[in-house]
Amino acid sequence: MDARWDLRAIDGEPVDSAALEGRALLVVNVASRCGLTPQYEGLERLQRSYGGAQFTVLGVPCNQFGGQEPGGAEEIQAFCVATYATSFPLTEKLDVNGRRQHPLYAWLTSAPDGDGRAGEVEWNFEKFLVSPDRQVVKRFRPAVEPQDARVIGAIEALLGE
Amino acid sequence: MSELVTTIRAGEVSVGDRVRTADALELTVTRVDEDFMGQPNLLALVEDSDVQWLKIAAPRDFELELISRASKLEI
Repeated sequence: MDARWDLRAIDGEPVDSAALEGRALLVVNVASRCGLTPQYEGLERLQRSYGGAQFTVLGVPCNQFGGQEPGGAEEIQAFCVATYATSFPLTEKLDVNGRRQHPLYAWLTSAPDGDGRAGEVEWNFEKFLVSPDRQVVKRFRPAVEPQDARVIGAIEALLGE
Repeated sequence: MSELVTTIRAGEVSVGDRVRTADALELTVTRVDEDFMGQPNLLALVEDSDVQWLKIAAPRDFELELISRASKLEI
């Protein structure tokens, strides 16, 4: 199996890679106690607008930035649903940088952002848009809001809308 | 008996210093990133080691607990 997609969901069950196949993905490292946490709202709006057979947001909880995702799986899941009514999938908590970086992020972080900078994830809520044929199409740094015209434009271009 | 706590401003932290945040995060700094997220008053302290990869962001004048200072070579 391609190690990039060897993922477990927040409930500990393996992510069914077939469920992701053929879909564009917006992969986002998330955290519950960050100043950027309200971006969950914009991410959920993307999911409700574009989610389905062609697209999904994929949230990746990570505690490497300011220790802002300290909770366990149940706590993270409950926070997302109760506070932002999220409907997109979350993986288990992962390392996105460093020596225990998950292979998905080893691949994603090789892609440059709009300024041509590849490498480490900068902070919580960095966004990678991945095409259905598994190319990293765009990388948006944390300060770029999910509802930013650049994000929506890139998703719509990818989906042919 | 009260414990003596030494503090250090984030802007004065050097590579090799070990610090603790108010949230009890501890890191041995292996890198200091200036102008974090394009903000001149913000910096990021990073530990990239076998133990952990952890990044904290702080204003330059933010006070942290100094657990140990980087050892310096004596010539």
